[in-house]
Amino acid sequence: MIEFDRTEKRMVLKLVFYGPALSGKTTNLLRLHDLLSREGRGELMVLDTRDDRTIFFDLLPFFLVTPGGLKIKVKVYTVPGQVKHDATRKAVLQRADGVAFIADSRVSEVANNYSSFENLEKNLAFVGIDIERIPLVIQFNKRDLSDIVPEADIERVWRPTGIPVFMASALEGWGVVETFSRLVELTYDSIDGKCGLSEGYGLDREDFVGRLTKRVQGS
Amino acid sequence: MKEGRETTGGIEYVVGAEKGIREIVRDEDVMPLLESALSAGASRVEVTDSRGGTLWACGASSGNNDSATVERRPVFLEGEPAGSLVVEASPGSQLRLNDLAGLLCAALNKIITNSLKRMLTTEIHTSVVNRTYEELLETNKRLRASESRYRELAENLDRKVQERTEELKRMHTRLIQQEKAASIGLLAAGVAHEINNPIGFISSNLNTLKRYISRFTEMMDFYRAAIEEADKAGGGITEAACRKWSDLKLDFIVRDVEELISQSLDGAERVRKIVSDLKGFSHVDDSKEDIVDLNTEIERTFNVLVHEIPEDAEIVKEFGSLPGFLCNPAMICQVFLNIILNSLQARRQGLKLHVSTKHVDGNITVAFSDNGPGIPEEVRNRIFEPFFTTKDVGAGTGLGLTVTLDIVTAYGGDIEVTSCPGKGTTFVIRLPAERREHVKVR
Ligand SMILES: Nc1ncnc2c1ncn2[C@@H]1O[C@H](COP(=O)(O)OP(=O)(O)OP(=O)(O)O)[C@@H](O)[C@H]1O
Ligand SMILES: Nc1nc2c(ncn2[C@@H]2O[C@H](COP(=O)(O)OP(=O)(O)O)[C@@H](O)[C@H]2O)c(=O)[nH]1
Ligand SMILES: [Mg+2]
Ligand SMILES: [Mg+2]
Repeated sequence: MIEFDRTEKRMVLKLVFYGPALSGKTTNLLRLHDLLSREGRGELMVLDTRDDRTIFFDLLPFFLVTPGGLKIKVKVYTVPGQVKHDATRKAVLQRADGVAFIADSRVSEVANNYSSFENLEKNLAFVGIDIERIPLVIQFNKRDLSDIVPEADIERVWRPTGIPVFMASALEGWGVVETFSRLVELTYDSIDGKCGLSEGYGLDREDFVGRLTKRVQGS
Repeated sequence: MKEGRETTGGIEYVVGAEKGIREIVRDEDVMPLLESALSAGASRVEVTDSRGGTLWACGASSGNNDSATVERRPVFLEGEPAGSLVVEASPGSQLRLNDLAGLLCAALNKIITNSLKRMLTTEIHTSVVNRTYEELLETNKRLRASESRYRELAENLDRKVQERTEELKRMHTRLIQQEKAASIGLLAAGVAHEINNPIGFISSNLNTLKRYISRFTEMMDFYRAAIEEADKAGGGITEAACRKWSDLKLDFIVRDVEELISQSLDGAERVRKIVSDLKGFSHVDDSKEDIVDLNTEIERTFNVLVHEIPEDAEIVKEFGSLPGFLCNPAMICQVFLNIILNSLQARRQGLKLHVSTKHVDGNITVAFSDNGPGIPEEVRNRIFEPFFTTKDVGAGTGLGLTVTLDIVTAYGGDIEVTSCPGKGTTFVIRLPAERREHVKVR
């Protein structure tokens, strides 16, 4: 959690889209930006500073005020997948409240997915976050392509971990909101226990998830 | 409760930490924009935070709050309304306030967004750099920790060395005790021999005395019988008595009894003395102090050593009159013993040992001078070192003089050594007659 100020009634949460380079993290945020209602979300900031390759991430903020008057801001970040940007990844992961791991479904990317996931484990530990506790979901993106790992194989590998797994095509726009919704749900559960969202601020789970994932009319 | 301020994992900057507009946007980015609005005809331009507090302002307020002359536009930060842009026009101005406000607002928001991007990039950049810096700090901290571990180790080492020294000291003392015990053992052998002699003649004398006494008894019996006989027959007693006296050689016996008794008394006295000297030595742990005459103690030491002194040794004692000396007698005898033993060991045949004592200027000096081989120049300053010995393995422990100096120093005295190789060695022990402070000697 970035910030929780009871007197100011402010809470700032951080969600991170992690994964190997080019797995579709930015595309996920772009889709969320397109699919979700303008009301309650900010503008997407894409920070691909071409002149400084060490800095590479995107930000999509969400805002909501609970019935109890708590102003919640959810900042959704992507991390640069390239190996050399490990420092940035650590900086972005720091104090994260939830992580969506965006894997590339292509058979050729299996090894990259693994090493990126290992990197996530390592960096979570580095910034002092317990991987067993942080809300974590996995998305296998690019399901629209043909040379992809079969869903059954993915299920077999990931089911035992207990981490929710989603199939998606960020390009086509499906599975993206589902992934995000689940992450938001898990995040609510973990925050509610710590900060008393429902008891103290009248914000229940459906309300929280509903407001953060409210779709644009007709989408 | 405020979270998000402390650091984790060594990264100072938290990506996503909340910033106010003023922290992100610089005056030099905003002010030209506001000024340009004034030159475009606005009377006053202001940027407020979400609570209405002024962040930047330009121009003079008309005091008018007429909606026709005041335009408000939201200012966004990370897509969230973070304040307002307020543009005022003087009443009656021809300014198209609405258009100007819209333009200004777009420009301002653009500035804010760009500043935010710049800030995020530079902050992360700094944090990336910081991380390396943090790593350096970490390394530094680790080094400091290990340094302190070393310091701890060093301190421990110091303590260990001290402990070790203490242990060595204890061992040293034990060795000294052992050495004393050994010399006492050695002495005991001599002493046993010495005791055997007087005891031998005491018992043989007593046997002789027993025989003599039986003769006296016989003589007494004779007198009694002769007197009874004379009473009946009358006369002849004196002659018969004289014959009997001479038969029993009582003339000789009477003379010899005297001799035997004085000899036996002498022997008994020697036994008593030897035993008491031995006692003086065997009570090495007895730290009882006493006022003693050092001359007597030297004598005592020689007595104990009698068996060690070769027949042909010439021992000359030249004792001055000494004041009583407060000390542990066993300790002081140990001093004399060690020095005398060294001389005895230095030369077996034709040893001349000259011992003299003096009381001069509040000091008692005891000088031992032998005609031994002397101590070579190059080892002379080493003889007091613990374990320094030139004697065969097993013969000397090299502790004799160490102990000696320890004891003398404890009594506030010192030892002077002069040696002339080939001619002899002199040890002069100087002891202050009056002890300045009361030092407890082991
Ligand atoms: N009177 C002396 N003449 C010649 N050398 C001497 C004399 N006294 C001492 N030394 C030298 O000093 C050395 C140290 O004497 P010290 O009494 O300390 O030890 P030690 O006699 O060798 O052994 P220990 O007395 O423990 O049996 C002797 O080994 C000897 O070389
Ligand atoms: N076919 C396909 N391509 C995708 C999908 N999602 C992303 N991509 C493409 O993969 C590339 C990398 O995407 P991007 O979002 O920039 O990846 P990031 O590095 O994880 O942010 C782009 O060319 C995307 O168009 C998807 O679901 N299907
Ligand atoms: Mg990207
Ligand atoms: Mg000696």
